[in-house]
Amino acid sequence: MEENRPSRLTAIALTFMAVIWVSPFSWLILNAFNPLSTGQLEIPSVVGFDNFGLAVSGNAGRQFINSMLIAAGTATLSVIVGISAAYPLSRLKIPGRNAFLWTLVLLRMLPAAGVLVPLYFTAQRTGLLNQLGVIIALTILNLPFTLLLLKNFFDTVPIELEEAAYVEGASLLQIVTRIVLPMSRAGIAVVWFFSFTGAWNEFLLPLIFARVQDAFPMSVGLYAAFGQQGAINYGFLTAFSIIYAAPAVGVYFLLRRNMNTGFAGVGVKG
Amino acid sequence: MSDVSLRGVRKSYGALEVVHGVDLDIRSGEFVVFVGPSGCGKSTLLRMIAGLEPISGGEVSIGGRVVNDVPSPQRGIAMVFQSYALYPHMSVYENMAFGLKLAKTPKAEVDQRVREAARILQIEPYLDRMPKALSGGQRQRVAIGRAIVRDPKVFLFDEPLSNLDAALRAQTRVEIAKLHDTLDATMIYVTHDQVEAMTLADRIVVLNSGRIEQVGTPLELYREPVNTFVAGFIASQRMNFIDVTPTPDGVMLPGKILLPIQHAGLASARTLGVRPEHLELASDGAADLSGTLAVIEQFGEYALAYVEMPSGETITLKLDGAPELHLHETIHIKVPPEAIHLFDEAGRALR
Repeated sequence: MEENRPSRLTAIALTFMAVIWVSPFSWLILNAFNPLSTGQLEIPSVVGFDNFGLAVSGNAGRQFINSMLIAAGTATLSVIVGISAAYPLSRLKIPGRNAFLWTLVLLRMLPAAGVLVPLYFTAQRTGLLNQLGVIIALTILNLPFTLLLLKNFFDTVPIELEEAAYVEGASLLQIVTRIVLPMSRAGIAVVWFFSFTGAWNEFLLPLIFARVQDAFPMSVGLYAAFGQQGAINYGFLTAFSIIYAAPAVGVYFLLRRNMNTGFAGVGVKG
Repeated sequence: MSDVSLRGVRKSYGALEVVHGVDLDIRSGEFVVFVGPSGCGKSTLLRMIAGLEPISGGEVSIGGRVVNDVPSPQRGIAMVFQSYALYPHMSVYENMAFGLKLAKTPKAEVDQRVREAARILQIEPYLDRMPKALSGGQRQRVAIGRAIVRDPKVFLFDEPLSNLDAALRAQTRVEIAKLHDTLDATMIYVTHDQVEAMTLADRIVVLNSGRIEQVGTPLELYREPVNTFVAGFIASQRMNFIDVTPTPDGVMLPGKILLPIQHAGLASARTLGVRPEHLELASDGAADLSGTLAVIEQFGEYALAYVEMPSGETITLKLDGAPELHLHETIHIKVPPEAIHLFDEAGRALR
């Protein structure tokens, strides 16, 4: 036996682990592509996209759009509010600004369910028990991390660049939009994608805020689809799950690309 | 007219005053260098002229107009930063055109001015490159080019050469001197390097802890420093300072040797200053000072000998050529009376 070859025992153990890991995914994929799915782990006799058709039409399609609206809306609003607050926090000598930021982060560490009741009543009073309410609530909950991340990115933009632009006649708005923001592209992308995934995955807030089926995002729709019309349609559920998971995977790749390219241009010395 | 004048200019951060009332007149077209050790306030002074630091007291005027409350862009200045401050996400061309575009200059004129500046600085081949694809020296030129295209009345340089290596620094120094000749603009240049100050300046302003010590041409400062600070700061080899006791006929050197001098202020002389290049080797009998050779640095064209006196002080000699001296041998030194500087107790030069 060669030294580097794993022993038979290791091989068996690894295979066992692999099966445990892979089987749920193969179950998901096999059922999704099987129009006659029964919820068993089996090789489908017919392969088709019927389940996916069901998962993007009607209620399910509506939920996909809702999810997109909530996720993209939250991400965009988080970025806009985050930039407007993080830039002054990065540039002005506000006493106790770091303590302030970390206190916000501490508050965010508390479980969201803990603030659910006051959030609910606030939304009820202000007539925001709808998707806009979900977007605003999620943005508020996102804000501590958004602020912290963006502030750190803005901190890396050398102040001399802003001074150079100022001497050349740029207004504050021009300095921010033409120097600081382009240089913080990577940071902004990270914040946008994280907020997007966070909002996409969010279940509790939309469940409570959006109380009609038409307003459900996919996360709530998936939950509601169990046992609809008396029986569980496993084919539909698995296809729906795959579509639901796809944006997260997509965001992961976009994020990786941005993290790789975004930082390259920041240094000025050399 | 683009002369710059400072009247009692002060800067304080809270209770801490860092610039204590600076008065200075810079003539149009002059190249003035602010030099001093770090923390002397030279950069702060420059930033106040640039409009990047609020002025706590006094007046700054550019071209006859008080600019204390004029925002930076309207002061007619351009600044070159130590880190170059090139916008990393813009090409060289965009970097140079940025200010003109903000000022809504017609496109054709922007193009013409950028290309003209690029031609002067010989950076035409790099116009489409990003700053990160340039070497340090090229970035430096782009930073200067960005200043030139704006056609400012006054150029402000904040230690522009300190990020370059020694060879490139010497080369760029010459180019800045040529540039001043070509553009005929007022230039204010901040550095802590006295070589840059000596070689570039029409006039040098020596600053120390927020005050002007002396203003003058490089040779005035070299020949007639007003105090021990300026004397020790200007010139590449620091001036030797020797404690002396005045007598009616001259000053008594540490080895109880009398150096005969005729000088009006002789009675208050406490320190004798003499530059390393003015000291000469002497024979045993004719020596004014004697000591042991502690270190010798041979440069080929000249050598620096560090001689330790019996009193513990070290005297530096700059000797032409490559003298044959051996470590720990006794060195006899002649002090030429015409080359000495005398300072009183407070370090002020005696005239």
